[in-house]
Amino acid sequence: MTDFLEGFLDDYFAECDEHLTTIRRGLLALEGSVGRQRPDPVVTEELFRAFHSIKGIAGMVEHRESEQLSHEMESYLRAIREGDARLTTPGIEALIEGARSLEHAIAARRQGDTPPDTSRAVTLLRGLLSESTPAGTVHDTAPAGATPSAQWQCVFTPSPALVSRGVTVDLIRTRLRESGEIINASPIIAADGSVAFRFIFAGALDQATVDAWAADGMTCTALQSDDTDKPIAPSPDLVQAAPGATLSTGHYVRVDLARLDELMRMIGDLVILRVRLTDSITRVEPFVPPADRRVIQEHLIAVERQLRDLREGVMRVRLVRVGEIFRRMPFVVRDLARDTGRKVRVVLTGQDTEIDKFLVERMMDPVLHLVRNAVSHGIESLDERIAAGKPPEGTISLSASASGDIVTLEIADDGCGVDTERILARAAQVGLPVPPNPDEAVLLDLISSPGFSTRDDSDRASGRGFGMAIVRTTVQELGGTIRMTSTPGQGTRFSIDLPLTLAITDALIARVGTHTFAMPQTSVREVIEVDAAAVRAIEGGEVTPYRGGALPVVRLSRILNVPVSAMDRLHAFIVGTGAATTGLLVDRILGQREIVVRSIADPLIRVDGVSGATDLGDGRAVLILDAAAIVRRARVRGTGALPAVKEIA
Amino acid sequence: MTRVLIVDDSPTIRRMVKVSLGLLPAPTDFIEAASGLEAIERLAIGPVDLIVLDLNMPDLHGLEVLGFVRSHERYRSLPVIVLTTRGDDSSRQAALQGGASAYLTKPFTPAVLAAEVSRLLGSTASPGAAK
Repeated sequence: MTDFLEGFLDDYFAECDEHLTTIRRGLLALEGSVGRQRPDPVVTEELFRAFHSIKGIAGMVEHRESEQLSHEMESYLRAIREGDARLTTPGIEALIEGARSLEHAIAARRQGDTPPDTSRAVTLLRGLLSESTPAGTVHDTAPAGATPSAQWQCVFTPSPALVSRGVTVDLIRTRLRESGEIINASPIIAADGSVAFRFIFAGALDQATVDAWAADGMTCTALQSDDTDKPIAPSPDLVQAAPGATLSTGHYVRVDLARLDELMRMIGDLVILRVRLTDSITRVEPFVPPADRRVIQEHLIAVERQLRDLREGVMRVRLVRVGEIFRRMPFVVRDLARDTGRKVRVVLTGQDTEIDKFLVERMMDPVLHLVRNAVSHGIESLDERIAAGKPPEGTISLSASASGDIVTLEIADDGCGVDTERILARAAQVGLPVPPNPDEAVLLDLISSPGFSTRDDSDRASGRGFGMAIVRTTVQELGGTIRMTSTPGQGTRFSIDLPLTLAITDALIARVGTHTFAMPQTSVREVIEVDAAAVRAIEGGEVTPYRGGALPVVRLSRILNVPVSAMDRLHAFIVGTGAATTGLLVDRILGQREIVVRSIADPLIRVDGVSGATDLGDGRAVLILDAAAIVRRARVRGTGALPAVKEIA
Repeated sequence: MTRVLIVDDSPTIRRMVKVSLGLLPAPTDFIEAASGLEAIERLAIGPVDLIVLDLNMPDLHGLEVLGFVRSHERYRSLPVIVLTTRGDDSSRQAALQGGASAYLTKPFTPAVLAAEVSRLLGSTASPGAAK
């Protein structure tokens, strides 16, 4: 490959990512139109264009597998579009197979792996065209029930002045699409030789809108009924002008994530600087006249507020729709269900929930694993489901929702639920400590332990060397938590709470002995005051009374190896859920702060239980503790598991 | 300054064309459009010396853009290089009949594109085709 082409590979991959997203969405939509006289023309066109574009660039960067695959898929779609072929079930299967091969081929090229064998998909696709029968000459008419709305002729005359104001033909087109449907768009030449665009448009326009648009070089006139009776000859490309067919590229910029990271880092520095400034001002305050003092305070507050806005603004730029994680899942489920002889449908909700791009990338594999798990371990076989009186088709629901700074992802199935006996047996077999009456949190803990797997090689569809241990580790690394609820015979649900974004978070600052540390607020459920005298030793651990029961507590002084404090009133951060609920004892809580998370990259100083470091403004590094890891560590240290709340209560 | 309007919905291809034409000896200014309508708008609001035109685009097909350009007195003799993905032989015929000054297919060779642009702009200097 020449240097010339080498320089375009990253562009190629980025553009392919966008097209592949379109392709996944399009193929799913197309699946619903199998057997129809002519499938949805907008979707067909969109797919055709996506393959066509990939083919074009793949050819340029000499990526033969990708070029060939997209060429075959483009040809089939063209035949469908032209009515020369009918969309059949084998047809959609071949397209899906082809899209998957294409995805693999691109991924392999990206990672420098050997190209996968794409011949199977190519053969399948070629077979379609040789045996396909024309769809016939009958053209689909407008969908029944569509009422014709008022038609307008809008003429837009572009000018350098309008363009400099951002009023372009792109913007006009977007506006029209938002208000109705563009039937035709064509350039025209006025008598004076100037160029304009004429849109024939169906939709509702009120006079105020027409007037407002007039200021932007657009004149809209309602077409008389005589005119509407005249069929407006649509050009063959009209399908492309339908609403929502394509997003205009004009209003988007593509930004390297690293640049946003850099921006976020700079904002982080500003946040720290602001804290330092506040500290310095507090020190000099006694020497400042009261009137000036107030002004300084006001400015400080304004700076803080604007910093927060700035941070939120940059954060929003980094947000992408969770749908990006979910979109692949129906394909995965489909394949796996077919391979294992199950029937499974996937229900997606909350795809518009937004989450940091970085989190999307990191969460892709964990969610994939949970979904695979749900198919192969959760949903029962057809016979089992029928015998249990359940609908033969299993359901996997993927949902996302946001509340405050937390985004929750849920992966639920209506299968058999987790097999407690089997998990306990396996745990005993590999020597994991098992408390009596384990609840769901304990079970989750067990299946997330490294080396735990209840299935043998023949059933490794969900495994692929990527177990629950990695799921949990990834979630925790991202500052999130994972919960499991399971009802025998009814299904299992995994809920993952993630911070909306990394880098800056709210934390509780506490002191243990002479040490100050930070605990992300997202991991703390509650803060309670604890009477030091009420803490008593039990079964190798310690407990304190809590809500009429007993709460296992862990002294952070012990974990951090600092002298045990002699204070008689302590505080505890309540972390974890279910039987894993634990109180982390600290001496004093200093307050709640916005902290900038700096990860500790050096493997030599990375410690389980410490998720990073921050600077509280005085220039000294303060450790950020990872509550989940500390609880885990404490459990391992103690003899056997810590007693659970329930059994003592 | 030569002004080249690059019309292609793929940002990667637009960049490839730009880099290829960077081989030209004369300083070149690039104007980009991602769709047919946008291309005509760019043409209408500013001077353009040559168009590199993709055929398969959203909204207006490249052939329609070409048809419009040729139907307007002002642009009748404007050089238009059609640069389209290979495999569709009927479009070569249609493009040449529609008034394309040259027809190249993707994948294209940067030096060939630069040479074609040079030729159409009547540049006497030869492009840096050595690369």
